[in-house]
Amino acid sequence: MTRGVDLRLAACETCELVVQASDPLVGLCPRCGEPVRSRKHNARTRSWAFLSAAAVLYVPANTLVMMRTEQFPSHREDTILSGIAYLWSEGASSLALLVFTASIVIPLVKIGALGVLLVTTGQHSTWRPHGRTLLYRVLEVAGHWSMLDVFVVALLTAVVQLGRFANVEPGPAVLPFAGVVILTMLASSSFDPRAIWDRGAE
Amino acid sequence: MRELAICMYCDTVHERVELPARRAARCVNCQRPLYHSNTDLGAMLAVTITATVAFVIANLFPLITLTSGGFQTEATLWRAITASYVQDLPVVAVSLAVTLIGAPLFELGLLLWVLVPLCFGTRPLGFTRIMRLMHLLRPWRMVEVFLLGVVVAVVKLSGLAAAVPGWGLFGVAAMTLALASLASFDRGEMWRRADAIGATS
Repeated sequence: MTRGVDLRLAACETCELVVQASDPLVGLCPRCGEPVRSRKHNARTRSWAFLSAAAVLYVPANTLVMMRTEQFPSHREDTILSGIAYLWSEGASSLALLVFTASIVIPLVKIGALGVLLVTTGQHSTWRPHGRTLLYRVLEVAGHWSMLDVFVVALLTAVVQLGRFANVEPGPAVLPFAGVVILTMLASSSFDPRAIWDRGAE
Repeated sequence: MRELAICMYCDTVHERVELPARRAARCVNCQRPLYHSNTDLGAMLAVTITATVAFVIANLFPLITLTSGGFQTEATLWRAITASYVQDLPVVAVSLAVTLIGAPLFELGLLLWVLVPLCFGTRPLGFTRIMRLMHLLRPWRMVEVFLLGVVVAVVKLSGLAAAVPGWGLFGVAAMTLALASLASFDRGEMWRRADAIGATS
């Protein structure tokens, strides 16, 4: 297996052109003029920073109220979890599972898995590189699905304006929740999966 | 020089090979996707136009119509954004505007800007800068998540009043499909085509 770093080759992230450059490889791509690097810039520091910010926001995102529903004469205040429980009790169990996966499981798995990736690459671990690369790929693909609940709340707010009969308002959890999604996306895009395969050579 | 491709996930160097139709090249080491076989820019343009039409439908028509007693309200995409802005959640409004309107609108507009000249054999104006911008925007487009969001919202509403999905939802669904199909095209082909044109002109 020949690696780019051994041949002093790197692919431009923008236009995929493979160019020759020396390590640590900061040169300009002859085709598109963008900087080409063999590894993402400051990957670990940036990834840790975004990840810790996301982990902090995860707490208010899940404990604060996500949505207030007023339907005369009753009044409901739902966190993410109680909203899912409500869906479940209404008989929409498959949908409840879907929202549970997108809103609770994915953010939690993302934070945990990225933490594992950062710790193991920091130790130049040789533990299951294929599995860890796959894990990273899953994080990349699944990451933005957590935005689901933010969209639902915004839609319900827009549509349910039936005067004094029914009203839906977003709660204070919406902001930290959107923050968690965006920060975990930034954290995983900052992480450089090639570090999984760099066996302490650097 | 032979054309090379380097895996962005594990840094393994590959020699580019011709692929059979509808296939993707995967890294021999980590099996992550390397590049796609579909280099038909004309087909790519057709799909982009489809996605643009779907985008217009998704924006113009209501996503959900709610009827209760004598009241009827409609949720359009735009209304969902302004409603969250009015509720003192400008950050949510902005993130909706970016992920649902801004990112897809820019991506489709830029793709049209690039693909139409390329299909006619001229180099698009500002080609490299546009390609860079497209590359940066792509992760922030969340149309497919929004599609699921509309479905969840309709189900949540069914206990409250008569909620009917509108034509806008079909627009969102069609756009999701078209955008997913756009992902199966080899974007490197746009660079190669532009390079070839640049060399002859």
